[in-house]
Amino acid sequence: MNIRYWLHLYFVLIRSSIRSGMQYKMNFLLGTFLAAGIQIAEFLMIAIVLNKFGAVKGWSLYEVGYLFAVMTLSKALYRSFANDVHHLENYLTSGDLDQLLTRPVPVLLALMSQNFRMMPGELLQGGFILTWALHGMMQAGQITWIAVPFTFLVILTGAVILFAIGLTTATAGFWLTRINELQTLTEDASQTAVRYPLVLYPVWLRSILLVVIPVGFVNYVPSLFILRGELGAWVLLGIVLVAAVCLFASMKLWTFGMSRYQSTGS
Amino acid sequence: MGIMTEAAVRTELERSADKDRPQPMIEARGLHKQFKTPVVKEGSFAGIRTLFSREYRVKEAVKDISFTINQGDFIGYIGPNGAGKSTTIKMLTGILHPSSGEVRIAGVDPHRHRRRVVSRLGVVFGQRSQLWWDLPVKDSYEILAHMYKVGDKERDLRLGQLSELLGLGEFWTTPVRKLSLGQRMRADIAASMLHDPDVLFMDEPTIGLDVTAKRSIRDFLKTLNTEFGKTILLTTHDMDDIEQLCERVMVINHGQLSYDGTIDELREKIGLPTTIRVTFAGAWSIPLPPGESLRLPLEIRLPTGEAFRVVETGPDYVRVEANRQQIRAVDILREMSAWGEAADIHTEEPAFEDVIHKVY
Amino acid sequence: MLYFSLASKAYARNLQYRGAHMLHNVASALFGYLYACIWIGIGQDRPLGEYGVHGMIGYIAFTQASLWISGFTTNGLGIPQSVRTGQISLDLMRPVHLFVHLMCREWGQIAYQFVYKSVPIYLLYVLVFSLSLPQQVTTLLLALAGLAAAAYLSICMNYIIGATALWTTESSWLYWMNHALINLLAGFFIPVEWLPRWLQTVSWLSPYPYLLYVPTRIYLGFEDAYRLLGSLVWCVLMTLACLGVTAVVRRKVEVQGG
Repeated sequence: MNIRYWLHLYFVLIRSSIRSGMQYKMNFLLGTFLAAGIQIAEFLMIAIVLNKFGAVKGWSLYEVGYLFAVMTLSKALYRSFANDVHHLENYLTSGDLDQLLTRPVPVLLALMSQNFRMMPGELLQGGFILTWALHGMMQAGQITWIAVPFTFLVILTGAVILFAIGLTTATAGFWLTRINELQTLTEDASQTAVRYPLVLYPVWLRSILLVVIPVGFVNYVPSLFILRGELGAWVLLGIVLVAAVCLFASMKLWTFGMSRYQSTGS
Repeated sequence: MGIMTEAAVRTELERSADKDRPQPMIEARGLHKQFKTPVVKEGSFAGIRTLFSREYRVKEAVKDISFTINQGDFIGYIGPNGAGKSTTIKMLTGILHPSSGEVRIAGVDPHRHRRRVVSRLGVVFGQRSQLWWDLPVKDSYEILAHMYKVGDKERDLRLGQLSELLGLGEFWTTPVRKLSLGQRMRADIAASMLHDPDVLFMDEPTIGLDVTAKRSIRDFLKTLNTEFGKTILLTTHDMDDIEQLCERVMVINHGQLSYDGTIDELREKIGLPTTIRVTFAGAWSIPLPPGESLRLPLEIRLPTGEAFRVVETGPDYVRVEANRQQIRAVDILREMSAWGEAADIHTEEPAFEDVIHKVY
Repeated sequence: MLYFSLASKAYARNLQYRGAHMLHNVASALFGYLYACIWIGIGQDRPLGEYGVHGMIGYIAFTQASLWISGFTTNGLGIPQSVRTGQISLDLMRPVHLFVHLMCREWGQIAYQFVYKSVPIYLLYVLVFSLSLPQQVTTLLLALAGLAAAAYLSICMNYIIGATALWTTESSWLYWMNHALINLLAGFFIPVEWLPRWLQTVSWLSPYPYLLYVPTRIYLGFEDAYRLLGSLVWCVLMTLACLGVTAVVRRKVEVQGG
């Protein structure tokens, strides 16, 4: 049961799911192209507004672009490597989860490696906006190159936090079976919310996005330090800690949910 | 080696006797499984009210099931839809945990050591495939080999064997989604054998297959059992599967084991009638008490006290039914030969299908 | 009557999930709330054109609620799924025109979404943001007419998207693309007149403004009835397009056997 064996297995599974995807090349290309288009249209929405009206509550277009890009990239990472965690509902309703349970592999690993999706569209678009935003802010002397490695760290921890939120929501499926509606709230709506600076929202909403569904830690909180020098460098350490705690808690919950599934067969 | 004490000799003897005695492979002791389903509300806001309601309906899917299956056994596990078959299989394979009772697979509890147990199991669900839908068949085997830690050499050797027995060659590089149902089932069974499991769970492996495909699956399962000594638990709705493959059947109904024994004993226990049809060369007549006309069914009682029944007559034939446990066929025929000149005799054993129908 | 029963079946099928849908409405309402918050933030230290901050909140509230009428139409009207299952050849054999058949079903869906999603979400906004309702009944009626046209346009667009499933096997991407274009060009978040000039041109050359922008403007009292002429023209054009597409689909299925 060593880590190397699991990593190797995960790699094998991911490779084969890429190969599955490549069976439909046309779809893959079209999907990539359109995904990038969709993402850009979404960014244009806010970009146009900020371009016309200037900063919003003291956040410049570059800064909002940065928030937007970090969220896109973290989400792309999370959804690439753990796509079917988001689709647990299908496994529950079709009974395919039982199939995964007959394999000598932890269910979560088996689930994560199904339908690996490369998301080149999102990566391209996110990378493009991020580069543009970082470049713009460096030109203006707002940040230095040190922001680049920090950003990479933040994208990574962000992906972990999003994964933890996604996993926790999926775990609720062991009780509720139907989780699409819940996911719209904990994943889609909250991720959309933090693409814009949290200062826009009333305090109750802000607290929810930091405490109940901690998406605020994916991009907003770290950007306070990286872009604006607020708070202090300890923030980065704090973010890593938050990600670790979220991950740990969600895994515990998942194991608990799994054992409940096995004893109720819901 | 020194001199053995008497006690040591005795334990040694017992041990060697144990070797010959079949080892229990699957043990179930007092299995219970209850499902709680929330009571679905009617009326407005039904969905939300159901979500927050604490009312449950408890369904006992499996009630106090115990059995032992030895190494090398081929067991048929049958029962009507919804009787608790799948639930039992899911508990045996560690997918579900029993509400109470214990399961041991080769002495190990699948509840506590799921991964260890399933690496010794081969599981086939006829209704769904364990193969990767969009990949060529051979790729699925590669992935599974990694998963079950089967070395390359061992994998190739085993795949060679399986391919020969199941004829995998003809669709080796075809994506699974393009296989016919029969091919897919063969591919699936091979997949469950790749890691050389000791126990096989086959859940309706012949469902929806044509006669030829069914036969090839049956032949293969037979080989696995007799030549490779695999322990196999088979659930199916096809009674021919059971009759041709299994020495022992377990019948589950309403969550309880209603029968556990050999097929022949089952037949005897149910005692369905055998039919005998005698075609006569010329005219025939059944001697009747004076003044009575022939009314079917007619019971004929032999002087010895045994009886059989006439159920159908035609211009040149008579069909009778009898329970073979109560009367010998020879005695029936002797009686009937007195009715006319017999030209042809045809006996039919009760169809197994009907026997099962009776048990359900 | 067949058409009506197709629609009412689709409506009734949804009724059984209305509990879950109400939960979903909370999420949907939250989305609109976020967008409204952004406009409040922007409008904090500058006027927002002819709308004003409160006007923009009303604008967002209406587009968010209308999204359930002209935005969230069934992906490709269900054609991609019926292509996958082979159902499409059966559907083409029916004595009802494929487009009419699917359209009726979708009208039922939209009617349901109007009653159980648009209306509750909008009422929630009315309470939260203390919005005022239109003073004249005609305004309301015209806005409803605009929404009906928008729903029809959306049905047509999804029919065409669905038809592409016969060639690409996977048309959900197009559905999402359409959705992104609605966000950008239909004036969902930004009123069309605030788009850069070139995007405005693109927008007005497409049917998108008639999906959200025009009905919303009418509802808010910024536009007259004659704007609906544009809706009408697009409805006619899209109908012709759909009939053309059906002919192509029929040929494709006949040649390839679905």
